Amino acid sequence: MMESFFKRENAGRAIGLVVAVAFFAVLPLFIGEGSISLVNEMLILALAACGLNLMLGYAGMVSFGPAGLYAVGAYTTALLLLYTKIPFGLALIAGPVMAGIASIIVGWFCVRRTAVYFALLTLAFSQIIHTIIFEWYGFTKGDDGIVDIPVPEFLSSITNYYYFSLIIVCICVALMWMIVTSPFGKTLQALRENPDRTESIGIHVRRYQLSAFVLSGFFLGIAGSLFCCFNKSVFPDYADIMKSTEMLVVCLLGGIYQFLGPIGGSIVYMFLDKLITGYTQYWPLVLGLVILGLLIFLRGGIVGFIVERVAIARQGSRG
Amino acid sequence: MTFQGLIIQLLSGLSVGMVIFLIAVALSLIFGTLRILNLAHGSLYMLGAYLCFWISSTLSQVSGAFWWSLILAPIGVALFGGFLEALLLRRIYSREMLEQFLLTFALILIIGDLCKLGWGVDYHVVDTPWPLNGPIILGGIVFPRYNVFLILCGPLIYVGLSALIRYTRLGRVIRAVTYNREMANALGVNVPLVYTAVFMLGCWLAGLGGALVAPMCAVMPGMDMVVLIDCFIIVVIGGLGSLSGAFLGSLIFGLVTAFGILVAPRLAIAFGFILMIIVLIIRPWGLMGKPE
Amino acid sequence: MLRVEEIGKSFGGLMAVNGVSFQIEKGELSSIIGPNGAGKTTLFNLLTGHLSPDKGRILFKEKEITGLSPHGICKLGIGRSFQRTNIFPRLSAFDNVQVAVMSWRRKSSNIFLRVQKMLREETDEILESVGLGDKKEMTAGLLAHGDQRRLEIGIALGSHPELLLLDEPTAGMSPEESGRTVELIQGLARERGLTLLFIEHDMSVVFGISEKIRVMHMGSIIAEGMPEEVRANQDVQRIYLAEET
Repeated sequence: MMESFFKRENAGRAIGLVVAVAFFAVLPLFIGEGSISLVNEMLILALAACGLNLMLGYAGMVSFGPAGLYAVGAYTTALLLLYTKIPFGLALIAGPVMAGIASIIVGWFCVRRTAVYFALLTLAFSQIIHTIIFEWYGFTKGDDGIVDIPVPEFLSSITNYYYFSLIIVCICVALMWMIVTSPFGKTLQALRENPDRTESIGIHVRRYQLSAFVLSGFFLGIAGSLFCCFNKSVFPDYADIMKSTEMLVVCLLGGIYQFLGPIGGSIVYMFLDKLITGYTQYWPLVLGLVILGLLIFLRGGIVGFIVERVAIARQGSRG
Repeated sequence: MTFQGLIIQLLSGLSVGMVIFLIAVALSLIFGTLRILNLAHGSLYMLGAYLCFWISSTLSQVSGAFWWSLILAPIGVALFGGFLEALLLRRIYSREMLEQFLLTFALILIIGDLCKLGWGVDYHVVDTPWPLNGPIILGGIVFPRYNVFLILCGPLIYVGLSALIRYTRLGRVIRAVTYNREMANALGVNVPLVYTAVFMLGCWLAGLGGALVAPMCAVMPGMDMVVLIDCFIIVVIGGLGSLSGAFLGSLIFGLVTAFGILVAPRLAIAFGFILMIIVLIIRPWGLMGKPE
Repeated sequence: MLRVEEIGKSFGGLMAVNGVSFQIEKGELSSIIGPNGAGKTTLFNLLTGHLSPDKGRILFKEKEITGLSPHGICKLGIGRSFQRTNIFPRLSAFDNVQVAVMSWRRKSSNIFLRVQKMLREETDEILESVGLGDKKEMTAGLLAHGDQRRLEIGIALGSHPELLLLDEPTAGMSPEESGRTVELIQGLARERGLTLLFIEHDMSVVFGISEKIRVMHMGSIIAEGMPEEVRANQDVQRIYLAEET
């Protein structure tokens, strides 16, 4: 592994990685608390989108309901912190664990069907999760949401929580990179390309799809838990179709066939969101037009576009 | 619960179901022929409702204004739909499902905000038209006349559509294209034109649904999403692409929701989804659909 | 090695495969021919588990494999290439074969190893043997048709089959390409001790390299034997002539 590290391409990648992390690490020194908060939000969205992309871009499974699992993570952590004396760390981990369990159940039903039917099933399940959260007033406080969630002292400052999020997001992204560059990751891609042929080379397709679904749900749960403690509140619309679509848009914006796609997408999305909502109340209209533009002109997403340009530039300088 | 109460609940469920039938059948038709799941259908329904309000309030001096808007609003939506189809949808027929989903979702956002731009965020009211304002009283049951009218519209449209598909030339062409696009093309059918026509028909139906529902409920932002989710449930249960499936699904949905509210009011919303999940797991092509 | 006993499969009212029985010995190079719609591909689908038979049994090395799933059958040693090119378009040619090899070596579920370095020699060897050694970094979907067909075979080889089913391996190829593909397949069979069963339409291929030919028509095998016998068979001639007219 060290040998490949020194190859030119990978060295470039490694340097870029260090620069990126360093950038995010020193950012708080230069910007105000409001902006730190925004970047924090962006990081969590990026994590959620990367989690979704494990299923979407790598395994080719289009889910219309990732927000359901995100909300399961958020609400689990919220409820534990509110009603029990469980230490913070455990409550945080319980979120993704619960989301993972929910993914096993939901996923088991969903992966039995493909394409449109799979997508509709994921939508239906996430709507059921939404309804449960919304209606179970006694437990989840329904539409009012849960506010004033107790978070440990050292994490209650914006800057501290930012670093906490950054660390967790970096660890998760590293884990996801490991998964994606493993034999499992490659097999998932083969699954995406041609499920039939993959079955013919000896892969139990349903099992691999369920695994991808659960891994996805796990990381979505982490994002949900992180956001719950960031916002110190949770609401039913964390499971809403609008949230699911937001994640899908972020993935598409960055490019679903790129590992860094969702991260790039969430940077652009948050930037656009905050910029546009500052000027007008018609952010949905602008977002709709942006999506249209993306689908017509930038099909590989922004990161995809950049990667393509770099590849062409490299070819040009070589030839 | 009295007998009268039950009947009222039944009729209530039916009237809701029949309105949603119009949108659901359009969604089903579009999926069956164009193979696209048009998420923006709820928005087109909402547009129909807004146009109905706009036309009837503009023509408020004219007698029978509502009936005029009932004719004109769906046509307006159909024309708008044709424009959308030619400009945008055409590009994505061959693309993957995710892109189709996102494109039609983008349309939801755009149409939604255009309606807000045009008519503001407050809700609007359309008066129930003469001679349908007021109740019907039959054997102790008091029920709005307009709702009875809605219940009758459903089967009327169903019969009309079935006749169109089965007996007219257009219907034959649509069936040919639905069954095998390449073959129809090879036989000289102008497939892109058929696609546009089918989409416009679907938009017309959605617009009609919106116009019909306008006197019954407030015309306001957000009505698109509520109806959309209900439509999904119906077309899945009935079978994507099946006319009779959409009709059956609407009946079931209307009744289940109406009685669900009696039985377990808070979970009534979930009944539809649970039914949808059951169907998707056991028989994903729906009650009347065909397996792929 | 492979024993098929009276298998049948119908769709709706149509009997696609009707009581077919035959045996294949280890090391045999044989083909199945027949007019379109004779049921050849359906037969293959039954053998590889893509369809389950309505009746009959299939035994591979004396073990019953009737009704097993495709991934189970692959693990037992039956490989297949497909009539319509069935590759992984966005992955490189190398990745295409590597995925199959990883599956065979039971490494596919591993999330800790790095895929970059895995099973390089084995994958390279297979790519070389199908003549794609110099194209291994190319995106599979962008390869020429002939190369894609060879990649087809490469992927099948990645699963180290003992019995290889080839569904029209020379489909869509020019005569020279067909010839080269045939030589390739023969060479591979020799080197790796493969047992081959073809479906083919190209008669020169069929009569050129098969030791045994089975003729299917309307779901049944109507003739079986050495090439000369089959060529001389009256029924076979009648069927093919009827096809012509």
